[in-house]
Amino acid sequence: MSNLDHGKFTRVTTLFHSLLGLDVFLLFFTGYAIMFNDELWWMLTLMGGASGVTAIHRITGIGLVALVVFWITLQLISSTGRSNFSKILPAKDDIDAFIQDVQFVLGRADERHPSARQFAGYKADEVPLLSYIGKGVVAIFSIELTLLAISGLLIWSKTGLAAMFQTKAAAMAFVTFHGLLGVIMLMGVMFHIFEHGMHPAFYPVETKAFIPRSMVPEHHGDDDEEPDTTGIERLSLSPSWRTVSTVFGAMTVIGIVSVLVGSIFDEGYPVPRELAIGGGPSSILLTVGINLGMIVLGVGLVLSMYGNVLRIRWEQQLEQEREPTTAADGGEPQTDGGRPDAGDSEN
Amino acid sequence: MSTGNEVMHDGVMSTGEDARIFPDVEACIDCGGCVVSCKRTWDVPRDEQRISIATMLEGQEAASGLNASSGKAIGQGESPGETAVPMQCYHCSNAPCVSVCPTDSLISKENGFVRVRDDLCIGCQYCLSACPFGAPQFPDEDSGVANLVGSGGTMDKCTMCEERQDVGKGPACAEECATDAILVGTPAQISDELDNRDSGTFFNDVAMDIIFGDDASEFQ
Repeated sequence: MSNLDHGKFTRVTTLFHSLLGLDVFLLFFTGYAIMFNDELWWMLTLMGGASGVTAIHRITGIGLVALVVFWITLQLISSTGRSNFSKILPAKDDIDAFIQDVQFVLGRADERHPSARQFAGYKADEVPLLSYIGKGVVAIFSIELTLLAISGLLIWSKTGLAAMFQTKAAAMAFVTFHGLLGVIMLMGVMFHIFEHGMHPAFYPVETKAFIPRSMVPEHHGDDDEEPDTTGIERLSLSPSWRTVSTVFGAMTVIGIVSVLVGSIFDEGYPVPRELAIGGGPSSILLTVGINLGMIVLGVGLVLSMYGNVLRIRWEQQLEQEREPTTAADGGEPQTDGGRPDAGDSEN
Repeated sequence: MSTGNEVMHDGVMSTGEDARIFPDVEACIDCGGCVVSCKRTWDVPRDEQRISIATMLEGQEAASGLNASSGKAIGQGESPGETAVPMQCYHCSNAPCVSVCPTDSLISKENGFVRVRDDLCIGCQYCLSACPFGAPQFPDEDSGVANLVGSGGTMDKCTMCEERQDVGKGPACAEECATDAILVGTPAQISDELDNRDSGTFFNDVAMDIIFGDDASEFQ
């Protein structure tokens, strides 16, 4: 079992996930305020106007490069990192699982592959939690972030890029690539937020990315003792989940479709006029849809912060529940037949 | 607005709506008069310019018999020899800069002028990458936020002296040109004038389509 299995991250990974999320959210907010300035005029104003948005986007871009370099270095120099890296590489089982799931969708298989049922109440010993889906998410995000960072750095100075390639077409090609990749990644991030924020068992936020593996009770103590359950079967569905997930799901779908349509319909970067099917800021539906997409991102930002709040609460709870060990006389701590609660330890 | 021909300089045939600006490269003698008149009219700082003269194949002779016919030489696939081309914003019908501007700070106005809305420009330089004529300039690239984060500053370019045209005057560069190498008028007027002078258009079909759009057929 790798550290990635059992759906829990290390402390460094949880911190990195939050910082990466914050950085990427800022890149999206600024990038889309530039790209859809008609529809997101309020966002442009809030972030200091045209020059302010550009400055934030570029500074945050440098932050992304720093985070990526840090992460790659960490994966290389730590044994845990090297182990995790080998675990997330696609294997034959992942390909088989993917094919079976596609066949299931097409009606040519009786059931989904076990890897695709990880959130359906199965226990850890029954279903591998690091499935092709999880590996795919990691791979897609890693590749997209890398390509966005490289193309973003290349187009930092268009004149420099044009001089490097001796052609303006090359500069514009990288500009268009950066923009279109941003559109694709935004759609993925919106789905990612919905997927982990509206999970039936963990709503309103799935905490595996925020609470480090080392703090999870069933994995405390003996590392050789593998847990046989995720505990998912003990969770109950929140009454408000159905309504909220329906509304949020609709916002996510509308946002994804609007951003996609907007990038084609709205003449200009990244789609040149010759290829655009429409143009101009006149579409109220598009304006509403793209703003809904930005609200989905905003909810993601709030959920990310809430996840960190939950982590801090969790830490405090563990601290309070910790057994007293200050038996200065060498005797056993008095637990009165069980683990003392916070009140007991204070009294 | 068109004010008729009676007060126009020879190179400025009409102004205002539908007026276009286009160089006659056979007439340009690289004197720099257009550059000076533009700077003087608009107080363009010392190290900046909204029009420049690109001299190609400097010191070279054209193919035999074509030394004073750069346009014809280009059309025949021959070397045009030394050719001076006044380069500025041609306020293109199919302006690539307008097409790629992410903030819509560049707009094609209904009267044919391509204008920059300074308050929307973020200095991303996409227009510079897209413009085939090198018109966009970034004089503020070393000031303020642009200096801090390395963006281009607010874009600046030729306005075709829209304010002057509004009162019936031609663009300063065209009015000042001693050899009438900068033509201002409707596409038909410019085409007729080039024919009268037996000058070619010098630019290829792609560039002509960008500059004149459907009106490029006037030059065929």
